[in-house]
Amino acid sequence: MTQTSTKPDAATGADAAAQPWSPRIVAFVCNWCTYAGADLAGTSRLQYAPNVRIIKLPCTGRIDPLFILKAFEQGADAVLVSGCHPGDCHYTAGNYHARRRWGLFRRLMEFTGIDAKRLFFSWVSAAEGQKFADLINAVTDEVRQAGPFDPTNPARKRPWT
Amino acid sequence: MDLAKLRQDAAALLADGRAGLVIGFRERAGACVPAFVTDADQADALVYDDTCIANLAAYLRKPEIRQRRPVALVARPHVMRSLILLKAEHQLQGDDVLVLAVGDDTYHGVLTLAEAERLLNETYADLATDAQVLAEIERLEQMSPEERARFWSEQFAKCTRCYACRAACPMCYCERCIVEKNVPQWISTAAAGHGNYAWNVIRAFHLAGRCIECGACEAACPQGIPLMLLNALLAREARDQFDARPGYDAEAEPVVGSWNKDDDEGFIR
Amino acid sequence: MKILDASKLSDLADTLAGAGYRVVVPVQDGDRVRYAEWSPGATIRTDAFPVNSAKDFLFPRSEVIDRYQLDGDDFTPLEVRPPAPRTVLLAVRPCDAASLAMLDTIFNWDYEDDLYNARRAATTVVPLVCTRADAQCFCTSVGGAPDSSAGADALLHPADGGSRLILEPLTDKGKALVEAAGGALADGKAAPDAPADVPARFDPDKVRAWLADNFEADLWDLLSYACLGCGACAYACPTCHCFDMQDEATRTESVRLRNWDSCGFALFTKHAGGHNPRPDQAARWRNRVMHKFSYIPERFDLVGCTGCGRCARLCPAGMAMLEACTRIEEEARKAPAHES
Repeated sequence: MTQTSTKPDAATGADAAAQPWSPRIVAFVCNWCTYAGADLAGTSRLQYAPNVRIIKLPCTGRIDPLFILKAFEQGADAVLVSGCHPGDCHYTAGNYHARRRWGLFRRLMEFTGIDAKRLFFSWVSAAEGQKFADLINAVTDEVRQAGPFDPTNPARKRPWT
Repeated sequence: MDLAKLRQDAAALLADGRAGLVIGFRERAGACVPAFVTDADQADALVYDDTCIANLAAYLRKPEIRQRRPVALVARPHVMRSLILLKAEHQLQGDDVLVLAVGDDTYHGVLTLAEAERLLNETYADLATDAQVLAEIERLEQMSPEERARFWSEQFAKCTRCYACRAACPMCYCERCIVEKNVPQWISTAAAGHGNYAWNVIRAFHLAGRCIECGACEAACPQGIPLMLLNALLAREARDQFDARPGYDAEAEPVVGSWNKDDDEGFIR
Repeated sequence: MKILDASKLSDLADTLAGAGYRVVVPVQDGDRVRYAEWSPGATIRTDAFPVNSAKDFLFPRSEVIDRYQLDGDDFTPLEVRPPAPRTVLLAVRPCDAASLAMLDTIFNWDYEDDLYNARRAATTVVPLVCTRADAQCFCTSVGGAPDSSAGADALLHPADGGSRLILEPLTDKGKALVEAAGGALADGKAAPDAPADVPARFDPDKVRAWLADNFEADLWDLLSYACLGCGACAYACPTCHCFDMQDEATRTESVRLRNWDSCGFALFTKHAGGHNPRPDQAARWRNRVMHKFSYIPERFDLVGCTGCGRCARLCPAGMAMLEACTRIEEEARKAPAHES
């Protein structure tokens, strides 16, 4: 657990401007389950796509929809939100609160023109290193299929004029 | 509707001190605008018709109005729901407000908040979303995400960030709105592009499960942005997913802010 | 006399656009009418009051006024030169044209605002004389008129019962525009229609006199009960010119933005420490009235309101400058100001 170099976020910079497009995915994960799951994937030397930038928060209950908007605004092609399975929340109910919020927010995103194919939600426990690696690979593949997020989408920041 | 009775009740409330202020509507140059009646002899200026869309419950957040509590409000069923919801969110005490209840061409008399809650549940339990709004939501849902993005891009481009939508909404009572927080700055201040998108989306989302669909925000928008599409979509989802019926139960927990073990998680991997 | 068929206003817009003007006209947009850049196929509406004012095209609601590139510790200012395209404000309201005198003064009073001035210099103003007014119009109470040529480079007069328009150039810019219009205008004769009848509703001097003595009047509470504290009035107002500066930065670039602001917002005067010298909506609405009818007249010998009535038409809470001023004048009659 101490080998920070295996952390998935060491993969930032994988797609410099000159290189062909590769999905840029922002993952908001909770400290106690999914982040630990990602860590396990790393220490277990599991291979997975380097397209995800992980942002660790105490709990999925702390993930404000504004984080998701900000990620799309700043150039993410997709966003993944992941935390503890129901019943496993370190703070008892943070993930239940988050689940309800996402249930509504994802509808609003779709309705205002962000394709549902760019928003992912998952439960990954600290023991599920393999699930994390498989999830990232699957998400990366799906986003690759969907292509880059439209730079003219209203959610996306455009160059200042 | 018995307008004479409404005026008479308003005058009596002020005359015997049961209300320190009556907020209703008056006519000005053919339009209906909010009226603030402090003396019984001004109550004859009160009018009411279908064009009185402003949600007068929004005034209850103003300190100078709160100073005059108890305040009596001319309230249609949607506005009564706002009041019940404000009570559920601990923004009102039961005796802060009296209701001059109007609805379906009927004047229901002066009600306490508890009586208004009963009236709502007995007579106005099924206030449906405006059919035109629902039809427009369905039309948009048939579009591709790209088409919807284009639609909203055009709509949000009109937004000048005057925040009339926020001001007109009784549920937007935060002393400092998220859009005005700049450390960190979540929402760009420029009245364009991504800032307008984030503002309009977050405004709607902060009302998820709380919007009672009075339509005051959309009516307030000087630019004619169809805000009720966003609000009604979230109201529909909150209803379908979580049985939300905001404004019918003054003891209810907030929809977003509570949870149920069996909430849908079909979308979670 | 240069004339055209009233129905051919869009041809004139086309011709001017072809001659290189950015043509701003009132057009139908959804269920609203707004001033917008002309594009072929748009429907020009001169019969309804636009929701925005002409200031949008000289003082935009948001603009970048400074820009920096950031690279580690390196900090490089980038040049900002917003476009100032040759523009014609065509068939705008005379009260919008009149507002430019006020904006010209404000943007050149203690500081010469290059961004505004560049756009202003490139703008030709062609108001359309009003032959109809509504209950919120009060230009004649504040020194204007439905056929005012204040701020105008040329004037469009409805003529022959609304079927024709006369284009009368007033300045060199106006003459250049007539030249650019070429064949879209014909030489001919037409009888100008009578301008709208807009009765004077109050006397701004009397309002000003009352304001001088009544900063603390109880009337302010009464006048401001309805105000919900949004910026709809200020943003629709052709003379409101307050702005806020905001810096928005990422790791690689930073911009300084100038955004419209409104004294109606509680945040407008709120200090970092929490104190607010304008603590309630009464103090804020008072400032709005004072600014237009006391401070501006005092400082520039202008009335800070052109009587367009947009604020009242758009206010979701039914606030109205006309009503406030007539109410104040009434109050002044009751208790005349001290002679000093």
